Order: sequence, then C-alpha cells, then structure tokens
Amino acid sequence: MTEPADPLERRFRAALPETDGTGCPPAEDFWAAASGDLPSERLRSLVDHGAHCAQCAEAWRILADVRHEAGAPTPAAEARPAPLPLFRRRPPMRALVPLGLSALVAAALVVSLRPPPPRPAPVERGNGGGSLRAESPDLQPVRRAVLRWSEVPGARTYDVTVLTPDLVVVHQAKGLSTRELKLPDAVSERAAGTGLLWNVDAVLPDGRTVASPTFELRLRSGD
Amino acid sequence: MARTPGQDPHPQDPDAGDLQRIRQVLIRAVERHCPPGLAALREDLVQMALLRLLERPGGEGTAARGASYLWRVAYTVVIDEIRRARRQQRQAQQLGGGDGGTPGPEARSEILDCLDGLQDRRRAAVTLHLQGFRTGEVATTLGWTEKQAENLVYRGLADLRTCLGGEET
Repeated sequence: MTEPADPLERRFRAALPETDGTGCPPAEDFWAAASGDLPSERLRSLVDHGAHCAQCAEAWRILADVRHEAGAPTPAAEARPAPLPLFRRRPPMRALVPLGLSALVAAALVVSLRPPPPRPAPVERGNGGGSLRAESPDLQPVRRAVLRWSEVPGARTYDVTVLTPDLVVVHQAKGLSTRELKLPDAVSERAAGTGLLWNVDAVLPDGRTVASPTFELRLRSGD
Repeated sequence: MARTPGQDPHPQDPDAGDLQRIRQVLIRAVERHCPPGLAALREDLVQMALLRLLERPGGEGTAARGASYLWRVAYTVVIDEIRRARRQQRQAQQLGGGDGGTPGPEARSEILDCLDGLQDRRRAAVTLHLQGFRTGEVATTLGWTEKQAENLVYRGLADLRTCLGGEET
C-alpha cells in the first residue's frame, strides 16, 4: 500500500476503522456516484460511509485511480471511431420525462410534508466571486509577490490562506488590518514555476465572515 | 467460454487492448491502496475479477457496449473480489483467534470527529478529496461546478486543519 504524500491524507486513512463489511454499499453505487447518477441522499450517505469505513474508503480510492486512468486517452482509443463517454454528464432525453415527473411529485411532497429544518442551512458565500475580488495581478515576480484584494464594507480584519495547487496550506496570515499581504520569500521561492492558490476571509465586527473565491497566483523567477 | 485476458490477446479482437489496459490499471490500484496482505494477491484478484467479467451472461459482448461499460464492470467485480478476499481473511483470523490488528479508537477518532463537524458540503468535498478525487471529479460526483468544488475543498481543509489545532499546516 502506497502512503500518500499529504500528512492529512495519511492521517485520515490511518484513522479509518475496519468494519465487518455487512453494511457496505454495493460496488456499483460507487461507480454510479462518480458518474453523477446517484440520488443526492444516497450519494451523501455513500460519501459519509466512506469516511467511517476503511474498506469503502479503499473502494473510493481505487475508483479515483481507475477514473484517472480511464480518462487518459490511449493511442488505440484515439484510433477508434467515437468512443462512448466514460462519465455521462446528462441522462438521455427519454429518461428526462419520468425523471421530471418524479421530481415534480417529490417537490410537492417535500413542500407539503417537510418539517422545519433543525438548523439554518450553511451558507457558502463568495463562490460566485461577488464581493471579494483579487486586485493583485495573477502573474508576479517571485521575490516581490504581493496579494491584494477588494474591500468588504465594515470588515474589521482579513484572514488570508495560501495553498499549493495540491491543496497543502503553505502560509496563513490572520487578523490583517490592511488589504494586502507580501508573500514571504520562502513561500514564493518554493512555489516558483508551479504557482499558488489563495483566498481571503473578511471578518466582520459581529464575528461573521465573508469568504472570497479561490484565486490563482503564478510566480515568475528572474525578476 | 472464458478467456484469460493478458495471456492470449488476439490482435484482431477489438477489446483485447482494453482488457489488458484495465488489468494493468486495476493491478496498480490494488497494489497502491490495499493493505499488504491483499496487495500481495493483486494479480490473482484482478485475474479472477476479469474472468468473472467475461463469464457473465453476455460477457463476450462487452466490447459492443463500449470501453466505459468494460471499466465499470471491471471496477465493480474487482471490488467484489477484494471484499470476498477480506471476508476469507477475517474468517481465517477469527478461526486463529486473531483480532485483525485494528488500532485503538482513541488514537484514530480525532480527525474523523473533526471531519464530522464540518458543514455538510465541505465535509463531502473534503472526504472525496482525501480519497484521492481531483476537484473536477469532486464536482462531477457531487453535482457542483468545478469552481464550487475547488472552493469547498479548500475551505473544508482549512476548517479541518483548524479543528486539528493547526498541527497539519
């Protein structure tokens, strides 16, 4: 078994308990989930199950590998006429009519029978790139890289997180009162040639935060 | 009649190349992700799975259904084979009085507790990310845009690290 490079991933895998396998979902469900063909309730339960069962986590990881490899074209595959897409994004038209009717009935049932939610739905702010924008260029010299962002009215401070493209956090700055951050040389030098990702949380006086989308930064050496 | 993929591929057989490639990918995946006891059986596990695939009713017509069908069925039968092998190992351990070597829960629960505490969408995104899914695949699986998936993975990982006390950063 190969150990993953990310310590968080290693720790996650090591923590997964072995189960007796009796409650594990069928293997077909994993493939259907990855194809976007599983109803959302079942999908969530499948994902959550994989976070508590070493064997199903293993099935997810093998699936990820198979998907990576299956998606890569081969010379033989390229020579063949019109191969079937591996992961269908949309169901065929004939499946849409019964699906649509089912959705209507389900929606009516949900509206009439749904109990009040136990807690407010989580809000993901900033996904659409509305209020917080990057104001620094996305291509900067390695030794003079500065991150700048737009103002959020009323924000008291800003927290910035900088990550590698494979999502490892390499730098965090919290409680900034200005709207810019000079990247430490050690961080930017390590990322020269590969680039970085960064995002900002604006902290409001009542403790709420406004989250930015994730921005990209490319670093060019030699300046 | 069952064929043995990888041993006697006919050049004119349109799916021999697919089967050979699937076989290699599955062997690598089992080697990478299964514990040593199972990984040592990788060739046998995959071979058994592919035999079962070809022995299925209509298995000889798999090529006509396309490569995506072959990948799907090959994946599901190999997972079934792994589960069967695990059951056999468990039974052998129980007969031998072994406990399976599972680590204690106190050492393993913290990260799972933190994961459980994440917001639903962040938890789903981070769980798939930790299973090795790329952000595009997280997006396809969960029905989001790639940008949404990317953002939820980043923020979920940040929450997870914060919960763990920053020791992973």
